[in-house]
Amino acid sequence: MQASSPTSSQPGGQRLFRAFADWARTDGLVWLYLFKAIAAALIALGVAMKLDLPSPRTAMTTVFIVMQPQSGPVFAKSFYRICGTLVGLVVMLALIGLFAQQPELFIASTALWVGICTAGAARNRNFRSYGFVLAGYTAALIGIPASQHPDGAFMSAMTRVAEISIGILASGFVSAVVFPQFTGELLRSTVRRRFASFVDYVSASLGGRIDRSQIEATNARFVADIVGFEASRSTAVFESPDSRMRAGRLARLNTEFMAVSTRFHALHQLMNRLRDSGSTVTVEALEPYFREIAPRFEKAGEPVLTAADAAHVAKQLEDYRATLPRRVRETRAQLEADLDAQGKRADTRAARLLDFDTATELFYRFVHEMNEYTATYASLAVDTHSREKWIERYVPRTNLVAAGVAGLRAAIVMGLLAAFWIATAWPSGTNLVLTAAATCALASASPQPARMSSQMAGGTMLASVVGMFLMFGVFPHIDGFPMLCVALAPALAFGVFLTTRPAYAGYGMGYCIFLCFLAGPDNVVQYNPVGYMNDALALVLSMVVTALAFAVFLPPSTPWLRKRLVANLRGQAVHACRARGFGRGGLTGLRNRFESGARDLMFQLHALAGSDAAFRHDTLRWMFATLEIGNAAIDLREELAAASAQRAAQRATQRATDARAPRAAWRDATEATLKAVGALFARPDAHRHASALATTRAAIATCHDVLEQIVSENAPRETRHRLQRILSHLHFIRTALIDPQSPFAAYADTRAHDANTPPGNPQGANHAA
Amino acid sequence: MPRDVAFLDAYIPAIVLLFILGAAITWLIDSVLARTGLYRIVWHPSLFRVSLLVVVCCALGLAVYR
Repeated sequence: MQASSPTSSQPGGQRLFRAFADWARTDGLVWLYLFKAIAAALIALGVAMKLDLPSPRTAMTTVFIVMQPQSGPVFAKSFYRICGTLVGLVVMLALIGLFAQQPELFIASTALWVGICTAGAARNRNFRSYGFVLAGYTAALIGIPASQHPDGAFMSAMTRVAEISIGILASGFVSAVVFPQFTGELLRSTVRRRFASFVDYVSASLGGRIDRSQIEATNARFVADIVGFEASRSTAVFESPDSRMRAGRLARLNTEFMAVSTRFHALHQLMNRLRDSGSTVTVEALEPYFREIAPRFEKAGEPVLTAADAAHVAKQLEDYRATLPRRVRETRAQLEADLDAQGKRADTRAARLLDFDTATELFYRFVHEMNEYTATYASLAVDTHSREKWIERYVPRTNLVAAGVAGLRAAIVMGLLAAFWIATAWPSGTNLVLTAAATCALASASPQPARMSSQMAGGTMLASVVGMFLMFGVFPHIDGFPMLCVALAPALAFGVFLTTRPAYAGYGMGYCIFLCFLAGPDNVVQYNPVGYMNDALALVLSMVVTALAFAVFLPPSTPWLRKRLVANLRGQAVHACRARGFGRGGLTGLRNRFESGARDLMFQLHALAGSDAAFRHDTLRWMFATLEIGNAAIDLREELAAASAQRAAQRATQRATDARAPRAAWRDATEATLKAVGALFARPDAHRHASALATTRAAIATCHDVLEQIVSENAPRETRHRLQRILSHLHFIRTALIDPQSPFAAYADTRAHDANTPPGNPQGANHAA
Repeated sequence: MPRDVAFLDAYIPAIVLLFILGAAITWLIDSVLARTGLYRIVWHPSLFRVSLLVVVCCALGLAVYR
């Protein structure tokens, strides 16, 4: 694109080459994909015909279901498709064996199975969900035609499986060997781009050169990026051993990115709050650190481009982090002196110092996590690395009710159409029912299933016209496989081209799949116009019914479902505050589940929001609140767990039973805070908000008293620091609760209005404003 | 080795089982080769892998059927 401007002085050949290279990078890829998809389809058709299978068109249809521009997704889809097909086969053989003489029972049990599988697909993510989809609809695809001739059911099911396998192998072969487009490459560039954009974002926001809407847009992009990265990673594993050897580190990179972006957002929010509350002394004391950190994300002034550069940056950050605690102590002493010089009141002074401690604690953790993230990035340079040993995986989070609705919907659609079939004895009833199963399954994976299935219906209508022309206008006049390829290729190319345009993807998919289904040639072609029209009608009808079901029967974009999902999002914070059994990986595992679950829900909400800007803004605010407070709660719980472990150790060594009552008070107060915050997130209202704020304030006061006491007692440094950290986490929760930009702002306003309290409380007022 | 293997009373061609075995063997060889770093000097790793699969499966098939 930009390569074409400075070419006026270059010789013609070079210019042509550049233009060609540019084309190959953009439009060329689309044409390449077109070529690959058609080649795979024709190979599958040819092989299936050569093997004399009864319906080679199934092989061709499979190719279009599986085919993707990238290689990784093709392998992943193929793998899960084979698994799903085998599971579907076994289930169907069992059902045919049980209910061969009872069409009602057979259809009912098939509908139930498809419903269960669709629900499973909605509950899982990525290609695992695809496996569920296929287990469901392959069962229908194999079983319903086979049930018409129960005596030959086993053989017909077996040949179906053979045809599907041929389609899968053909598409896998073509996308692996012919100009492969590896997801691994895509991942590498994603890693690089994301690091660069995060560093830009950090530098810009630390410099104060970024406004609220931009922050929201950037964070929404990061969320989409994290979810997309996980999807790509899970498919790249299928590509090569090279990707498999790095899979653990890539997963870790994603997790660390989540942690570091949350931490940074928290730090940034805190700084904004401090600036708004006019706590200039604290802000001034902190700003030098922010100016220092930005250059350390670059290697000698150059942005990081490779993993080797990242190693350099990781070293820089490590060195910086090592010097940090000492320098922070010096700055704190300076700040204390400044505050004394300004003659502030004791409580204001304490509040300012607490602000400073909280900000430096967050900053320290941010530098640490950034260091970890960079180190993992650096480790990608080599094949094997100790960082690969990482058990925590991205954990998707879905709504059980939404999944159940998806399954129920599929079962109801199938039941309705099957009732119609049984009542009218329509010869194309088999197609009617099994296409409904397929469409339900395929469309429920897209964010707007109603639109998707109506687009598919449109594509199928087009396909039936084109197929009619092929079947009765072209096929009678041609002879031999090469001529068949010549006839099919342009018709298919049009459909594949449609699938590459996001706006028409549904049309393209319906067109490709059902053109093969309707007009795919058999070894002995049967020219039966009435049957053809019946089939075409059945396909379009079943898709229209599916589209109606998606639109009418609890569509996923309903306010109700949105509310459920937002409640789930808040539930992540509740989980962070309360979850008792930490499960695998202890508290670290909890943090990982929390971070990835919140992002996953946010991503789904974002897809549901569509163009509804107000709703999107609202969910983003909830996500920020959830992430900030939930993370601080997990930090608090980590400190509490460490404190109790230490206390247990102390008890074991020395049976000291001196006056520990005041020491335990802070623990109770902190736990009460966690409980109140959890309650607030579970069912937010003004009253719970007030009580969460009150308990947090009480906990801060208690901790503060205990801290002063143990400082005077000269307690061990470790204990003192832990208490200081707990204090700063509590303080952070409090600032987040009274942040005017958070979704809690509404409750804070109403409460101030109701109670009509004078804003004279010195401890809270300086942050609330 | 017989041409057909009875599996739960269903006859499965022995060659299907052999090819599944062949795929597993290829998987093993592939990961071993990747650890040695051979793929860095191979022009087209995927083509190499496909050829490896064909070679392994043909070798197994010939060993049994000839």
